[in-house]
Amino acid sequence: MKKLKQFFRGFRKGMGYFGHNIAIIINTILLSLVYFLGVGLTSIFAKLSGKHFLETKLGKKSTYWSDLNLKKKPMEEYYRQF
Amino acid sequence: MYILGIGCYYHDASATLLKDGVIVAAAEEERFTRKKHDTSFPINAINYCLKSQNIAINDIDYVGFYEKPFLKFERLLSQHLELFPLSFKTFLSSTPSWINQKLRVVKTIRKKLGYKKGILFVEHHLAHAASSLFASPFKKAAILTVDGVGEWTTTAYGVGKDNNIHLAKEIKFPHSLGLLYSTITAYLGFSVNNSEYKVMGLSAYGDMNKDTNPYYKRLRKVIDVKEDGSYRFDMSYFVYHYKGRMPSKKLCKLLEGPVRKSDSEVTRRHENIAAALQIIFEEVMTKILNNVYKATKCENIVIAGGCGLNSVYNGKILRNSPFKNIWIQPNSSDGGASMGAALYVYYAILGHNRKYILKDAYLGPKFSFKEIKSFLEKNHIRYSEFRDERELMKKTARLIYDNNVVGWFQEGMEWGPRALGARSILSNPCNLKMKEILNLKVKHREKFRPFAPVVCEDDALKYFDCDIPVPEPTDFMLMVYPIRKEWQNKIPAVTHVDGSGRLQTIRKHQNPLYYSLIKEFGKLSGIPILINTSFNIRGEPIVCTPYDAYKCMMGTGIDCLIMDKFLIKRDDNQQDMWDSEKYAKD
Repeated sequence: MKKLKQFFRGFRKGMGYFGHNIAIIINTILLSLVYFLGVGLTSIFAKLSGKHFLETKLGKKSTYWSDLNLKKKPMEEYYRQF
Repeated sequence: MYILGIGCYYHDASATLLKDGVIVAAAEEERFTRKKHDTSFPINAINYCLKSQNIAINDIDYVGFYEKPFLKFERLLSQHLELFPLSFKTFLSSTPSWINQKLRVVKTIRKKLGYKKGILFVEHHLAHAASSLFASPFKKAAILTVDGVGEWTTTAYGVGKDNNIHLAKEIKFPHSLGLLYSTITAYLGFSVNNSEYKVMGLSAYGDMNKDTNPYYKRLRKVIDVKEDGSYRFDMSYFVYHYKGRMPSKKLCKLLEGPVRKSDSEVTRRHENIAAALQIIFEEVMTKILNNVYKATKCENIVIAGGCGLNSVYNGKILRNSPFKNIWIQPNSSDGGASMGAALYVYYAILGHNRKYILKDAYLGPKFSFKEIKSFLEKNHIRYSEFRDERELMKKTARLIYDNNVVGWFQEGMEWGPRALGARSILSNPCNLKMKEILNLKVKHREKFRPFAPVVCEDDALKYFDCDIPVPEPTDFMLMVYPIRKEWQNKIPAVTHVDGSGRLQTIRKHQNPLYYSLIKEFGKLSGIPILINTSFNIRGEPIVCTPYDAYKCMMGTGIDCLIMDKFLIKRDDNQQDMWDSEKYAKD
């Protein structure tokens, strides 16, 4: 009985480990697809049309401050996560 | 009315509880889980907050969260879109935690806490700004927030008056003064979001003259600063916007060497790089502050964000800018943003009249005489009990004067990264060898790092060249000032290589026992100053409970521990001794 319990404990542990690794592999495949097909294609089209998502270049502006204008908004705005 | 503020999932998760606009409890999750800078959902900190007021989760009227997660995720997506395909590895490693956790804040709060009422999301820099303004003594003040990054903002300024905060201008990611500091911290072989203060300490050993520092001109190439303090980086020197590390190969070339390995020696070159960084940081901050003054015309300034912990620069602000008064909250980095979220909900969103000023930082768990006694008895720990506070003070002062290293466990645990006399290790600053003794017995830390002095506020000007009147952030160990020349060799253990000290001032009403102990030590030594360093094992958070404190003493060379009215000696409890150094991390 004790040996059987030990066997099942080990079996469960092994299955957990196996499942965890499978999840990593599937996640990697799915995320790679999203990255290359979703992010990649959008990025290429955006670059072709001259769109930039981050301002990484130094400019000849007199100031780098940009308007934020963050102040109190109506209450319902704060329920939003964006 | 109760408001709960929550901050988590980046670094230093924390929770803050407000009762009718007054902060009644606040703590960081790391103190409970014993995992430094713990990022996880602060369930223990929340439970402590609720327990401290004996309330249940649905007695809370609103929960305030310290950022807008979807805006932050938008920024991350923008990084991937801009930097495709360089960001592939980061995309794979970071996306699962966003999908499983960081975008499910509402679900987590409902599920883990069983909370049914309103959850409000406050922009990250607004939470920082609120944490400083609404806890400050100012009705009106200019506000500056500078950190690594929030949603998009890295630096912002504006003005706060009564219940309103208006952040007018910003610098956006990837340009970030905080991330510049972190990048050089990483380059110098220290851990990011943890050891920036070590670089600040190291800078004093380097050449702080920009004309002669060999790295100043080089490092200045990475940043373009305008006269109004606005700045932008040459991003070819950085890779943090698409990789898991921070400095680029080009930066290594610019600084004439590879990233320092954490176990290798700190050389003169490293000291000069740290100094060059500090000079540039100070230059940019001074320009920003002058611009903020010009734009706001306020004489009061409140500062928040991780860069508000740069105590070396904080001590120079009133001398380098037109501001007359300054206030910084004790936990000005992300750990303190839960406080900002709660304060913003109560004072700005709900519009209650302001009535609160944060006077001390003892907002964490507190243990009664009974609880401590029961802990000692239950664990068969040998101890003695002082008759009264007078005897406690006299005997403890004598122990410190006789060069013992004393663990000091009183009051509620401190809010923020500094030990301020509730969870402190105290020792004698007049002993030339005390720095060595502390390092050998307890801290085992880098030789270049200074120990901090604590002095009663009414004695501060005698020993330190402080601003007059002594600014209140000094109570939270947030300002470094020069130690007056005539005292430097009399308190060598707390005098840094450049003659400065990161002092803590203490006012009697904040912690009467601690205040009296310092005065009592002054009667014995002639100098009412103590060394105050954080009560922790290297690489662990500051102790929280009597168990943590006792374990820390028994694993290090702390000679004795004063908990409430109890004196526990290490030598009397040899059965519990262990060696913490074997398990110490950075």
